Amino acid sequence: MLNKISSFFKKIWSFFKNNNSLLSSIISIGVGLVFGLIIMIIISFFTEDASIFDAFAGVGRLIIGPFSSGSARSLLSNFGDVIFYSVPLIMTGLSVAIAYKTGLFNIGAAGQYVMGTIGCLLVALYLPTTNRFSGILVWLLAFLAGAALGAIWGMIPGILKALFNINEVIICIMTNWIAANICTWLFTNCTSIISKENTKSAFLMKAYAAGNYTPKLGLDKIFNGSYIDMGIFLAIAIAIVIFIILNKTTFGYELKACGSNREASRYAGLNEKKNIILSMAIAGALAGMGACFYYLNSTEFKYSSQYASLPAYGFNGIASAFLANCHPIGIIFSSIFIRWINNGGEFLTGVGFNRYIADIVVAVIIYLAGFTRFVSELIVKYRKRKEKEVSRIDGKVIEYNPVKDGPKQEEPVDEKDKEPNPEAKEEVTSNG
Amino acid sequence: MAEEYVIEMRHITKVFPGIIANDDITLTLKKGEIHALLGENGAGKSTLMSVLFGLYQPEIGEIYRDGKKVIINDPNDATRLGIGMVHQHFKLVECFSILDNIILGSEDSKLGFIQRKLAREKVEKLSSQYGLTVNLDDIVSDVTVGMQQRTEILKMLYRDNEILIFDEPTAVLTPQEIDELMAIMRNLKNEGKSILFISHKLNEIMAISDRCTVLRKGKYIGTVETCKTTKEELSSMMVGRNVKFEVDKDEAKPQETVLEIENMSVINKVHKKKAVNNVSLKVRRGEIVCIAGIDGNGQTEFVHALTGLEKLESGKIILNGEDITEKNIRYRNTHGFSHIPEDRHKHGLILDYTLEQNLVLQRYFEPKFQNHGFIKFEEVRDYANRLIEEYDIRSGQGPVTLARSMSGGNQQKAIVAREMDREHKLLIAVQPTRGLDVGAIEDIHSKIIRMRDNGDAILLISLELDEVMNLSDKIYVMYEGEIVGVFNPKEIEVQELGLYMAGAKRMSMEEIENAK
Repeated sequence: MLNKISSFFKKIWSFFKNNNSLLSSIISIGVGLVFGLIIMIIISFFTEDASIFDAFAGVGRLIIGPFSSGSARSLLSNFGDVIFYSVPLIMTGLSVAIAYKTGLFNIGAAGQYVMGTIGCLLVALYLPTTNRFSGILVWLLAFLAGAALGAIWGMIPGILKALFNINEVIICIMTNWIAANICTWLFTNCTSIISKENTKSAFLMKAYAAGNYTPKLGLDKIFNGSYIDMGIFLAIAIAIVIFIILNKTTFGYELKACGSNREASRYAGLNEKKNIILSMAIAGALAGMGACFYYLNSTEFKYSSQYASLPAYGFNGIASAFLANCHPIGIIFSSIFIRWINNGGEFLTGVGFNRYIADIVVAVIIYLAGFTRFVSELIVKYRKRKEKEVSRIDGKVIEYNPVKDGPKQEEPVDEKDKEPNPEAKEEVTSNG
Repeated sequence: MAEEYVIEMRHITKVFPGIIANDDITLTLKKGEIHALLGENGAGKSTLMSVLFGLYQPEIGEIYRDGKKVIINDPNDATRLGIGMVHQHFKLVECFSILDNIILGSEDSKLGFIQRKLAREKVEKLSSQYGLTVNLDDIVSDVTVGMQQRTEILKMLYRDNEILIFDEPTAVLTPQEIDELMAIMRNLKNEGKSILFISHKLNEIMAISDRCTVLRKGKYIGTVETCKTTKEELSSMMVGRNVKFEVDKDEAKPQETVLEIENMSVINKVHKKKAVNNVSLKVRRGEIVCIAGIDGNGQTEFVHALTGLEKLESGKIILNGEDITEKNIRYRNTHGFSHIPEDRHKHGLILDYTLEQNLVLQRYFEPKFQNHGFIKFEEVRDYANRLIEEYDIRSGQGPVTLARSMSGGNQQKAIVAREMDREHKLLIAVQPTRGLDVGAIEDIHSKIIRMRDNGDAILLISLELDEVMNLSDKIYVMYEGEIVGVFNPKEIEVQELGLYMAGAKRMSMEEIENAK
């Protein structure tokens, strides 16, 4: 029995050790936490509220996240909230990832998310329902409306990129702001359905619709009154579907082909224009769905916004995607991690760091975590060097280990392509 | 030791996952010598040179420069030791001018500003001294492969390198350019530079080198004085068996027309000039039609327009009686076109895909390989294994090897395998044997002949005159985008053909019509 357990742990350990991208994600997180610690230590010299010890306590709170809350009751509801808030992040992360696989940088997830907000809220608020059954129908309608608007918003940069070769990043930034302004204009003018409480610079909308919310499946009871609903299951399902599309279907084969060599895809008769537009449309739909999961919650429609601002979910999606090396399943975990750290950040006030400092620390950790690819290159480099040393000492040939050694380099091949593989890059720069 | 060696590589062993690329190889280079390194694709020539250039570290073995032991950790070390290298695939910044590429990495600067004027003078002097004509202000992506290579050579000379490594320098050149290169190499030798010259073209090795080291499958076979050996001996050392140089083929039996091109004109995207001007030709079942010409005379644009990668300015393409001028690439590919592209990295392969994924690049959508949009992975694997077997594609990990990590020759074999194995009526082969060794060339040539005899139509675009003369049943010569002559290969001498290719002679319209 004990043997079985130890061999199980050994297997897990070797899986971690040999999986470069997973290892690099974990190292990135570690580096991020160290940086967060350094920032808190520096800040602790300038503030009276916190000492240097509080900085260490602060990192502790970030790591344990919702467990910082103390009581079991609030722990559960905090934990549920972490899950709930990570769902939109999973969706925007998937949005960034699928576009990236097609060779596009979707910085427009924020705008697509805002369009999703418009779609789902307008439908849900225009169609108040009285019983649960029609509530589900309206929910579905609102969800589809959000996804569709997001898709349309993603298609715009896709079309401009495909037909006129305009850089998608620029278009995405512009469409982001257009979306933010449309949203503000619509919600300030639709007074018939939206009751609002104006404050100086922001407005708050509250609307309680009878049944147009994502089913909770009793999760709120388990998690002690948290916002959590079945959105997490749907998000996981969608991540799996995206994984299957990318890796098992001809469509995914085409998307990735276009992403890695557009000319060769054209040569092979792929319609690369169609694929770019479709990829961006799917990315937009995913970001739009993210907004639906967030706003179609049973507790309340809590849309609060500065005038014409962009949601952080859109941009955090980039961090979430890259932390997971754009792996759809990995994005589930990276998103939960980001929300976990965010949740821990809320407890930093307890050790004397104010909210804004906490935000800075959390942001630094998240964005350093996005350096995964860089770290994975470092790992490959380190392993090669170590292996070289060993082989020189022993003076004999080492056995081949496919996982450790990565793809074989038989003869030097072309490295002029846009993205040289890490190995190839390493050879030119090693020991510089 | 009686003789002085500028470079000595002793007992070099380099191991890659799944393969021993170099197994105890010793190579010596004398001052002022042209030393050829001969071997098949994947024999380890490029790896050995990369070791010398500091790109790889050997597991075992030592390198001596002028009798002193040196450790070359990276190309900077190599440059310090006066070692320069022209890679098989050029390492140029595509969007820089030629001058900027030459000085890149060793710019003279004053207060942070590059002293282009001084550099230009030095480069111009070198280029006239060695006869390396380049337009210094042209952007690299706009110039021909030949000029890119001359840029690479100038790069080495600009750095005053003493030991020059050429990795298959002639693979991409025209006959005239090859002659020029040979003259340049002799020049360099007379100036006291030592040259290591990787090749699998025996004619060139016989013509230019002083000594030749032969590798086979990573092993050292021997070093011979070139003047004391023969082509046949070298080739049997390289391949391990005797190779035929002449292609056996019967008389062509052309049947009905498969492809007809009428008055095709194509505008070059970059220069906005007519790259292809009013070209008409016919390819019939059971014949090999070849377009010969010097690189950069419109062949690339012609093929791109034919296969749908670029738009025609005017003219018609007719395949089996159907006008396909306006049809898209997929339609052309599924209705009879097979296309071995000129540039294997730009068009032929998706380097980040595995070998098996690349082998189904033109077929993944067929019912054989997919079911309702889901790829049938087992079918793909079986198919890939069959092609790997049939076409002798060598790679470290078989079907799951990344295309990027395969050697150039095997990448080419993969493309040839994919295109030849597909159902097709017309094979458009652009430099199909580019970068392949004699054994593989022999194999591909005989496969092309067999396809012809089975009733395929073949359009061959080649810069290699040997290939053109050996394979084709009809030769069209293209010069500056126009057809300037049509010949039967049996009725024309190579020298005569060269005159047409260089634009010194041309046929009148009636003669061309008659010859067709």
